[in-house]
Amino acid sequence: MNIFESTKMAVKTLTANKLRSTLTMLGIIIGNASVITMVGVGQGAQRYASEQFESLGPNVLFIIPGSDEARSRSLNIPRTLTLEDAEAITSQVPTVDAVAPQLQAQQPITYSNKRSSSLVVGTVPDFLPVRDFDVEQGRFFTDEDVRRSAQVAALGSDVARKLFEGADPIGQQIRIRNLSFQVIGVMESKGAFLGDNQDDTVFIPLTTMSNRITGDRSPYGREVTFISATARDEASITAAQFQIANLLRLRHKVTIEDDFTIRTQKDALEIVGNVTGALTLMLAAIAGISLFVGGIGIMNIMLVSVRERTHEIGLRKAIGASQQDILVQFMIEAIILSAIGGVIGTGIGTAGVMIVGATTPLKAGISTAAIVLAVSVSGTIGLFFGVFPARQAAKLDPIVALRSA
Amino acid sequence: MQPVIRLEHIFKTYGAGDTEVRALHDVNLIVNAGEYCAIMGPSGSGKSTAMNVIGCLDRPTSGSYYLDGVDVARLSDPELAHIRNRNLGFVFQQFHLLAQLSALENVMLPMVYAGTPYNERKERAAEALTRVGLANRLNNRPNQLSGGQQQRVAIARAIVNRPVLLLADEPTGALDSQTTQEVMNIFSELNASGITVIMVTHEAEVARLSRRIVWFKDGQVVNDHLAPQDLAQMTVTV
Repeated sequence: MNIFESTKMAVKTLTANKLRSTLTMLGIIIGNASVITMVGVGQGAQRYASEQFESLGPNVLFIIPGSDEARSRSLNIPRTLTLEDAEAITSQVPTVDAVAPQLQAQQPITYSNKRSSSLVVGTVPDFLPVRDFDVEQGRFFTDEDVRRSAQVAALGSDVARKLFEGADPIGQQIRIRNLSFQVIGVMESKGAFLGDNQDDTVFIPLTTMSNRITGDRSPYGREVTFISATARDEASITAAQFQIANLLRLRHKVTIEDDFTIRTQKDALEIVGNVTGALTLMLAAIAGISLFVGGIGIMNIMLVSVRERTHEIGLRKAIGASQQDILVQFMIEAIILSAIGGVIGTGIGTAGVMIVGATTPLKAGISTAAIVLAVSVSGTIGLFFGVFPARQAAKLDPIVALRSA
Repeated sequence: MQPVIRLEHIFKTYGAGDTEVRALHDVNLIVNAGEYCAIMGPSGSGKSTAMNVIGCLDRPTSGSYYLDGVDVARLSDPELAHIRNRNLGFVFQQFHLLAQLSALENVMLPMVYAGTPYNERKERAAEALTRVGLANRLNNRPNQLSGGQQQRVAIARAIVNRPVLLLADEPTGALDSQTTQEVMNIFSELNASGITVIMVTHEAEVARLSRRIVWFKDGQVVNDHLAPQDLAQMTVTV
């Protein structure tokens, strides 16, 4: 008997038992759909995070307090960077274009009877070019404001909306931790950065933040949370990283272990890639387990089917089916179930990925590799889990099969 | 002329040691082409085991079995499958039709395993069904047919590959007396047309329609040419 006849026969059997066939396929459908969706979501997260860091510009360097080891040793983030460090970088590192130190903390903000708890960022005017922020309305504060510790604030778009509800905020007085600030500008919306809403932020001069609201004066100078800087161009990133490190080691009198870490955009992308890659792998593994369970479902139903169809198997043998004919017939049934389940699951998974892509910021993409993997894995599962029941069927003794009541 | 069946010193035992069951004990039997032979005997006499050996569904423990001159004892599974497909036709008590297939498709099934092209299969299946009087029931499913009709479909399926030997295992066991008569008529016609028929039965009326009765007892053939008219006497002695 040829494969075409066997396939026709298998299709006939499967369509005669539509409910059972569908339920059997369900396991594979769910397994496949989840593999494709999970991998799509994982890769979407990866792409999203990468794009976020890429949007910072290729020349950005982040200087954060503490060495990697120090930060992993303790939950207390060390406070080793100062405003003076930032100023020294500006004046002494020739490969650096602009430097933006930041001192930030969550603070209560009120305007008349409205309140908001938002992130208050004390920084300098160079923050705008370094972090690629822009003012939509009014102005950002100036170096003069910073020097004078002026009580002026530029509002993130969400804070402006929350406190002023469409009214013009420019020139109004808001209170940050009971201090009065004049609103001088509203920022362009930036959206979220890695899930942090950057529009729920108020920007004030760093000196004002440090003098009046929060922050310590260490022996080195005014504490800052971290420093971002831009290198002059892409080619000078490595040089800038090296020069900043040397300068800070000198200033901090480092002898053994750095008390700061410098990350480039490339470093950040690598870290993000590792984290989201692991996430994708984990999601794929979980989904893979459901695919495996689906395969066991196929085997289970096929075994029941063999038991139930002993008469049929016995008869087929009596009228001339060889063991191989029976084996092939049952194998094809298993493969058809898993292949169709695979295709339907792929369709559902693809739709799932599209829905995730449309409704969340994750750039969920349909991965050809995931589809090829899922379909070939489900086909293999059909083969693998079909072999055992099919062999049971093929080895059935025709006499027993025909006699059993 | 070559006998269709030649069984020589056939032994068949199941199990081993204390639980050993001797199903067949030195069975010798020759059935010539064109014979119409009934196998009878009390339950446990080995007649069904003999039938399974003859039908190449079971292998004897020892002894030789020549089917149409071929020693089948040494054949592999695919070769046996081929012999069952081409040389033998089976009719069972429980019909064993596939419920999801129509009468025509059920009859086509042996030709599927024979590799016959589709159109020829359809033609010959329709022909066989016509021969058993079911020309107008080709597309009915088994559950739309009466027991007698189902058994006739099964007979059509058994003869469609033009076997040398038709094996029937209690073919009328599940039928009432009127349909039994119809089915038996078909067997007589088939035999008249030249097909060798061997039938296991425990119904004397059925066996009487054959031309030779082989009587089994305790795994042995005790009378292999009992004339149908002597059946009453045999039944008394059992």
